[in-house]
Amino acid sequence: MARTRSKGGATTTSKNSKETSSTPANSKSRYVLPEESSNPPRIFILPKKATKEARIVSLLNPRYAKPTRYLVCPETGVYELTQIAAPKTTPRSWLIQYGGGEDGEKAQEAKLGNNTEFSVHITKGADLFVATPIDPVFLLLPAFIPSTSTSSESKSEKQSRLFVSSDDHLDTIQQSSPHQWEILRWGKIRQLFESRMAAICETAQAGDETMFRFSEDKLLAELLAKAQRMSENPLPKSMEDKFVTKALEAPVLGIKRAAVLQTETSVEEKQTEETATVSAAAESGASTPKETNSTESQTSGNSTATAPTSASDAAPELAPTITASPEVIRLQRLRIAFQFLSSSYIAAGYAATLRQKLSSTSLVDFAPLDAYLARLAQLRQEAAAARSVGDYTRKRDFDDEEVAARAEKKRRHDEEEKRKKAGESRGVRDLKKVNTSGMKKMSDFFKKK
Amino acid sequence: MTPPIFKVASAESVEEKKAQLHLLPCRIHYDGDVNPSDSFWNPSQSEDGKNTAYFRGRKLDGKTFKLPEGYFGVVAEKSDPKPEQRGGNDEMTDDVEIQEHPNDQLEVGDMNGKAAFDEMIVWGHETSADASEDPYIRGMEEWITFAEQIHSYPTGAESVKS
Repeated sequence: MARTRSKGGATTTSKNSKETSSTPANSKSRYVLPEESSNPPRIFILPKKATKEARIVSLLNPRYAKPTRYLVCPETGVYELTQIAAPKTTPRSWLIQYGGGEDGEKAQEAKLGNNTEFSVHITKGADLFVATPIDPVFLLLPAFIPSTSTSSESKSEKQSRLFVSSDDHLDTIQQSSPHQWEILRWGKIRQLFESRMAAICETAQAGDETMFRFSEDKLLAELLAKAQRMSENPLPKSMEDKFVTKALEAPVLGIKRAAVLQTETSVEEKQTEETATVSAAAESGASTPKETNSTESQTSGNSTATAPTSASDAAPELAPTITASPEVIRLQRLRIAFQFLSSSYIAAGYAATLRQKLSSTSLVDFAPLDAYLARLAQLRQEAAAARSVGDYTRKRDFDDEEVAARAEKKRRHDEEEKRKKAGESRGVRDLKKVNTSGMKKMSDFFKKK
Repeated sequence: MTPPIFKVASAESVEEKKAQLHLLPCRIHYDGDVNPSDSFWNPSQSEDGKNTAYFRGRKLDGKTFKLPEGYFGVVAEKSDPKPEQRGGNDEMTDDVEIQEHPNDQLEVGDMNGKAAFDEMIVWGHETSADASEDPYIRGMEEWITFAEQIHSYPTGAESVKS
């Protein structure tokens, strides 16, 4: 049945290819790939609000002080281009299907290769450029923060302490920021840059011109305000998981101890227990013993006598430490947000100074978070200690991994032995069987007399 | 030598030309057209929105991701940058520019929009892509909203007043 069908399919495809290929070449492939294009298309994700006057220009990157590509729109501001590339471990490529397959007939034509408008294209690199808004404040920073190059340092250092016009400030990075002047002539960009400069500078009026002087405190306040805004809502999921939830997670202490007492519990059972107690502890202390009790009686009937007592001992001890208060979570988010800002938009050297300034400032108090983290570190240490005690009693039941490692080791050892034996000559092998007891050792012949 | 400036395609200019983007879970060492594609690329979509394709005998699962609100995708081809022909209206500033760098001619290239897209399909081998792991999905969904949060600032007019 299946055979006939596959036969039918084969005939239709061959018919198709006969139609499409004008020069039948039986030995070679019917289709010849066109010459590789030297200019593969790039994939962008752009904001809709950027007008068609928007241009991709090179400006100084605030973090690395190197010219970097930005998208500047004269009306709506500056956008940062982020390149997303596939990591080496998971290679990717784009397959672009022009025409989208909505227009059935045309798409069909395209598939047959007659219509160049609707075709399929492959790009080797799987880069994706995403344009997201960037605050011009960061683009101004190189003008104020002394870079590592010595020549510009003295100049910008001096100027950043004086009240001078915005042009003079921007002049300091003009050499290294190729399109700085170009974009300042576009639409509202100059106005935008000056208004953002005011956010991190003290200003003074001199005639009809505004003069600016860089203020570290204002920059710090601005960054902190940004970080605060970021920390109001949960951070993006992957970031929140890694830096907030994981960092504030208390070890499941006590549970491990309880589990240790039951020598016959298997690994899976322990896990169910742990999850049950964790969820119970997160709710309230009163319901904890009951809940653990029920799960344990389900999982291990033989040790119900000891388990509930130890678990209920552990639970109250656990309850106050396992949950970070909303205040602590918020502070942790704030700290992460600030670290993210300073590590992606501020020169490395200066970021350290800012961090120091932050810890001494009165704008925000990280004390509750620090206290919590200290307590957490202590708890973790205890948990690690308890864990090693636990390993003692569980010495006999290996993990699957351990077993596998052992088997691997043995196999390798055997193999090596085999190889060694194969290298031996017959004479050597035979001599090994000789009974040498009672014979003189070889070294005896070479002793001093 | 200053790097060239590039024009980019706007949303309107590429609206009609749609493309479908597929992110393959493998690297193909080739840049260019691969027509006709009938014999090797036939993705199909089931009723519940799951995409399946067979690529060289391997089953791929595809997950469709829409671009966030307010963004559009462009497939663009770079054209060679040429020295810009300046209009007469900015002559004044032009003079200043010329005095500063007499040898520097600004080069302007073009990112020709070939097609637009508003969703892309991320393919995985046997498994569909994991939203919390895949850098493309994270870049699209998480980074864009996050970046907007970071970089929001009062617009020019308001801050001048205050």
